[in-house]
Amino acid sequence: MNMNWLILNAVSWLLFFFGAAFPVLILLKAIGLTGFMKVTRYEKHNTFYYRMNPSVKIILGIMVMVVASVTIWWIGAIMTVIILSTYLTLKDGKRKFITGMFLTMMTVIGTTWAFAPYTPYVILQEAFHSNQLTTLWVWPSYFTVMGYQPALTTQGLIYGFQISMRFAAVSLMSLVLVMTSTPSQVLRSLNKVGIPTSITFSLVVAMRTIPRIFEYIDTSVKIQFMKGLGSNAPSFLRPFYMLAGAFSGIVPVIVFLVRGAKDTAISADTRAFRAYSKRTYMHPMTIGKVDKMALSAVVLIVLLTVIVVMMGFGKGISYNG
Amino acid sequence: MGFNGISGILNSPGEIPWEIVVLFFGAGLLFVFLWGRKTGGLEKFTTLDLIYIGIGAAFAVVWEFYIGAFLGKFIPSNPFFGIGYTGRLIALLIVAGLVRKVGVGMVAMFIFNLLSDLISYGFSGEPMYFMYEMLTYGLMMDIVIAAAGPNLFGIKSPERRITEKDRSAQRKGFEYITKMPAEYLAAIEGILIGIFWVVPEPLFYGGFISPFLYGGVVDWGKILFDMVAFIPSAVIIGAIGGLITLRIVRAVGQ
Repeated sequence: MNMNWLILNAVSWLLFFFGAAFPVLILLKAIGLTGFMKVTRYEKHNTFYYRMNPSVKIILGIMVMVVASVTIWWIGAIMTVIILSTYLTLKDGKRKFITGMFLTMMTVIGTTWAFAPYTPYVILQEAFHSNQLTTLWVWPSYFTVMGYQPALTTQGLIYGFQISMRFAAVSLMSLVLVMTSTPSQVLRSLNKVGIPTSITFSLVVAMRTIPRIFEYIDTSVKIQFMKGLGSNAPSFLRPFYMLAGAFSGIVPVIVFLVRGAKDTAISADTRAFRAYSKRTYMHPMTIGKVDKMALSAVVLIVLLTVIVVMMGFGKGISYNG
Repeated sequence: MGFNGISGILNSPGEIPWEIVVLFFGAGLLFVFLWGRKTGGLEKFTTLDLIYIGIGAAFAVVWEFYIGAFLGKFIPSNPFFGIGYTGRLIALLIVAGLVRKVGVGMVAMFIFNLLSDLISYGFSGEPMYFMYEMLTYGLMMDIVIAAAGPNLFGIKSPERRITEKDRSAQRKGFEYITKMPAEYLAAIEGILIGIFWVVPEPLFYGGFISPFLYGGVVDWGKILFDMVAFIPSAVIIGAIGGLITLRIVRAVGQ
């Protein structure tokens, strides 16, 4: 009796920590912060994504988002595979492909685990048109305090996995935009759509800052380790010290970044940023052959989606939210 | 089915009358418009301000998708404390402290939304969410900025002079913590914004946006409970956020 209780609790907490920590473990161990920076930063190259107009990439992203959210899960899965395979055409493509694969794994496991234990049975029963749910693991009763359902079900896992297919393709596509266009290209194409320069400028600063935040937090953590953070602790506690270091590095990193803001402002202002309401560009954004091909692909996919939805492959499962 | 996932239900049981919502949003827009006319609106932001807003938005995204998303897994969903709320509040407080111009709340909220919500939650229900977040969270911050004037968070307060008593304590080798009026002001204004921010989620979202978009019965008992339950943590986080802001702004040297 007591043994059973112990096993039940140990396994439940193990499962709990698996869901929370495994995606982060993938990020830290398999991808690494440098690998992550590589997929969030522009590098010069000359394949089709790099020649494409940023607005077309944004349209592609929105289209992937829309299609994934109105169709059955396996269409999202197919799009994920297709987009991931185009990572091979990027600069240093093999490495980016592998990183992208790990990121997708993170998304899938993270999202599945974010939905599977929490989704109320009523929703699962409605989604699967059945009152029969297969119980895989019964949680200790106090887990309900955390919003857990009494038990983990196969249907819950499937439901979570299918929802993750809504996000996987979109997040891969939005990384393509960041990896293959310079911030100034994004700025120009957004301006063309009519968004005020001041807003696009802030947006581009934000886009550029995101990978730098990781870089500086990484540096900050390393410096703290050099100063002896957790040096006497056993090695299995190291990830916790890493997290603690990252957490206490946040405010110094903000100060460091914000101090650098003045240099950015001076360099933008000395180039007469916002001196005139209209701007001209050395390299105007044009719609080229690649863009036309991409746009026709968009039209084709939209048509296919309409057909697929009409055939009854719309939302295969009634997502909640 | 309505437009873009918006059902447009105006008569759910218990839903806030749409007239009141329109009136509130209208008054908010009018306030911003008039104030913008007075101070110059978007044009008034210097390039530096725009960069501050961008950096703040980047932090909000990093928090929402990585740090906060991770921490959130260890904290059960509860009505007392929100990880997402914490990160957003502190990021926006810092931006407000650095820029200190009316309108920064809304512009920052707009960019936060473009970068984070749109990617994570999709385009369904837009533009309702943009309006909702800008005109509740953003507007409330702008009202506090307008009311506080240039000495927001005590940034312009003089640092306290060291008194004779402190010197004698120093001579005796005591460590002591100085409490300057600026710190109090920063904490109080942080708390104010924190409490203001508690209201929209239960009241506007639960009472209007959610039934408007998806329908359903509004539970006013739950709305009131959610608001009251959240206030203690909002007070603590607001105070901490105000103090962090003061520290950062001083470190940047304004």
